[in-house]
Amino acid sequence: MIWHIVKKLGLYFWRNPQQLFLFLALPIILIMILGAALGSNFNSESSLITLKVAFIEHEDSNEQMVAFLQDIQDEVPDEALQAIESSLPSMEPIQIITSVFDNEEVNEFLQVDYVDPSERDVVMNDDSYTAIIEVPNNFTYNVLHTMVFGNNDAPTLSVTYNEEEQFGSTIVNNFLSDIQEQLTKGSYLGKNGIDLSTVEIEEIKTETISLNEKNPISASAYYTIGMIVMNVLFLAGAVSYYAFYEKELKVFNRIILAGVSRWTYFSGILISGTLYAFLQSCIIFLFSKVFYGINWPNIIDFLIVTIAFSFAVGGLAVLLSAINYRLNSETITSFFMNIVVTILAVIGGSFYPIGDFVPLIQTISNMTPNGAGLTAYLSLLRGDGLAAVSDNLLFLGLFGVVMVVIAALCFPKRGVSA
Amino acid sequence: MIELIDLTKKFKQNFAVKNLNMFIEKGEIVGLLGPNGAGKSTAISMLSSLVEPTSGDVQFENKSILKNPSSFRKIVGMVPQEIALYEDLTAEENLQFFGRIYQLRGKKLSKKVDEVLEQIGLTDRRKDIVKKFSGGMKRRLNIGVAMLHDPEMLIMDEPTVGIDPQSRNYILDTVKRLNAERQMTVLYTSHYMEEVEFLCDRIYIMDKGNLIAAGTKEEIKQIISSEKTVSIKAEILKHDFIQALEENPLINRVTVGEKEVTILVPKDANVFSEVIKLAETNGMELTSVDNKTPTLEDVFLHLTGRALRD
Repeated sequence: MIWHIVKKLGLYFWRNPQQLFLFLALPIILIMILGAALGSNFNSESSLITLKVAFIEHEDSNEQMVAFLQDIQDEVPDEALQAIESSLPSMEPIQIITSVFDNEEVNEFLQVDYVDPSERDVVMNDDSYTAIIEVPNNFTYNVLHTMVFGNNDAPTLSVTYNEEEQFGSTIVNNFLSDIQEQLTKGSYLGKNGIDLSTVEIEEIKTETISLNEKNPISASAYYTIGMIVMNVLFLAGAVSYYAFYEKELKVFNRIILAGVSRWTYFSGILISGTLYAFLQSCIIFLFSKVFYGINWPNIIDFLIVTIAFSFAVGGLAVLLSAINYRLNSETITSFFMNIVVTILAVIGGSFYPIGDFVPLIQTISNMTPNGAGLTAYLSLLRGDGLAAVSDNLLFLGLFGVVMVVIAALCFPKRGVSA
Repeated sequence: MIELIDLTKKFKQNFAVKNLNMFIEKGEIVGLLGPNGAGKSTAISMLSSLVEPTSGDVQFENKSILKNPSSFRKIVGMVPQEIALYEDLTAEENLQFFGRIYQLRGKKLSKKVDEVLEQIGLTDRRKDIVKKFSGGMKRRLNIGVAMLHDPEMLIMDEPTVGIDPQSRNYILDTVKRLNAERQMTVLYTSHYMEEVEFLCDRIYIMDKGNLIAAGTKEEIKQIISSEKTVSIKAEILKHDFIQALEENPLINRVTVGEKEVTILVPKDANVFSEVIKLAETNGMELTSVDNKTPTLEDVFLHLTGRALRD
C-alpha cells in the first residue's frame, strides 16, 4: 500500500513540469548562474577566498642566529653546541613562518608580500591587506633562546588585522596559531634533551602535510552542494503541499474509508519525502559530475550521507504535512518554503561558508539539516571517511526521527476508530 | 439495515445536525433533501464514520458503527461532493490506486477496473489524464471509484453538482440501474428535488440541522394536501403586483422567481380571476397562470417559507 502512495506522488511530480522545474532545473540553473558569476574560479580548483598579508622583518634573522651561537658557546658543552649549530637552519623561526606562507597550496588563497620596514606606513594605510605581521627586533634570538633554555619570556610577533576582513583575519590567526604550536613543540623538545635535528623537522613536515593531505574544495563543488542541500528542502514543502491537497480533495477520506490506517498513509509521506529527496540529490549530483567534474572519492560514503540527509528531509515533509492536517491549512508549508528554507540556507552555509572560521556558527550550522548535510558532503569530498562525518550522520538521523515523532503526535485522528 | 439514532453534531455553540433519526432498508434509494447548509453533508459524514458525532449513534445491522467502523466501511462506497480524484493520473490509474487501497490486486483488480470503466462509460478514455475530463466525466469517475469494491451501499453527496443535463441523466440512470440490478442501497443527498423525486423511494428533508419531514414521496406531498400551487408567469414582474399578492388574504405564501411567481393557496380557492385582476390593476401583462401538481419544492416552501435553493 505504501508503495502505491509513493508511486502516485511520483507520477504527480513527473506530470507537473512546474514541480520538475522547481526540483531539478532550478538548482541546476542556480549552480550555473553562480558558475557564471564566479567566472573561471568556478571550474578551477581555486579557493573561494583570496587573502593578502604583509610580512615585515625589522632585523635580519641570520645576524641574530650568529649572535645567539656566540653568546651560548660559554654556557653549553661543545657537543651540545655542535648539535644546536647543526639544527639551527630548521629551528630558525622566520623560516618556519615563511615556509608555511610560501606553501604552494596556501599560496592559492594567501598572497604574502615581504615588505621592507621602511614601507611600513604605506602598507598600514593599504586596506587591501588582511593582516600585517611584524617581526620585532631580536625575535629570532629570543625564540632560539626560549627553545634551547626555555627560561626567557616568550617573544611575540606583532600582528595588525584589517577589521573589515574578519574571515580573512581569522584564517591568518589560525595559521599563526599553528606556527606558534610548532615553535612550542621545538621548545619542549629542546628542553627535554631530544635531538632537534632529527625530530623537529619531521614535526614541521607533519604540520605542513596536514594542510595538504586533504583534497581542496573548489568553488564549484561548494556551491553545487550548497544549492542541492538548500533545494532539496523545498521537496519537503512540496510533499506536504500535496498531502494537504489530498485532504482538501477528500481523497484522504477515501483512503480512511478504505480501511487504510492513517499511519500507513503517514509512512507513505515519510518514505515519499525520503525517496524523492534522495533521487533529486542524486540527479543534481550527477549533473555536477558531468558538467563540473565533481567526483566523490567514495561513492558508498556519498550514498550513505545522501540517505541520511534524505531521511531528514522526509522527516520534515511528514512534520509539515501533520501540521497542515492539524491546522487545516497549508500556511505552515508556505511559511517554510518562503521563509524558513532561506534562513536555513543562510545558517547552513549554502550561500557562503559562514561557519568555516567561527566555531560557534559552524556548530549552529551543523544543527540544521542542510548545514549538517553540507558539512558531511564537504568532508567526504576532502577525502574524509564516514568516521569523520559520524556526528553529522547522527544528527541527520536524529533530526529525522525527532521530526517523525513530533509529526506523529500532531497528526490528527480522522474518522471514527474502534 | 442502517439506523441513525438521535444523531447530533455540534461545532462550538452551533448545531450542524440536531437529533437526527433516520433508517435505511436494504435495497432502498433514500433521498436526503435540503438546502445548502442544512446539515446533509455533516449527517452523511457521521453516517459513513468519517466524523464522530457529538452524541447519538449509527447502527448497522443493530451494531454501533462507532464501536466497530471497519465492518461498515467495507460495505459502503462514498461519493463525496468534491471530485476526490487525482487529476494528474489517468482514469485507469485512479481506479487502480483506489482499487489497491481496497486490497484488490492482480487480475482481480484489472477486471474490476475494466468493469467499472464500462459501467461509467469511460472505457475509451481510460488512458486520459483526469484534468482533461469534462465536469460530467469527472463526476462519473468519482462514482466509479466508490463502486470498485462492490459496496452494498452507496452514499452519494450531491453527485450531480455543476454538470451538464446529459451527464446528470447518465448518473441518475446509473444509480437507478445499480439499484435495480444489484439491489444496491443508496443514500442520495441533493438540493435538486427533481432528482430526489426521480430516484428515491423515501425522502428525508432537513433544514438548519433539523429533520423537518420524512416519508415516501406521496406521504410528504400529503403534508400540503390542503393547499395547491399556482404558477404565475410574466415577462416583467412588477413590485406592486407582488406586494398586492402578498397582501391578498386568499394567498398563503408567495415565492418570487425571475419571471415567475409561485403562490400557495387553499385547495378549493379560485384565485385565477383575482390574479388577473391584480395584474391589470398594476399594468402588468401575464404570459400564463397555471395550477401545478405539488412538488417537494412546494413542501419545503410550505414547511420553511423558503425555497430549497434560497
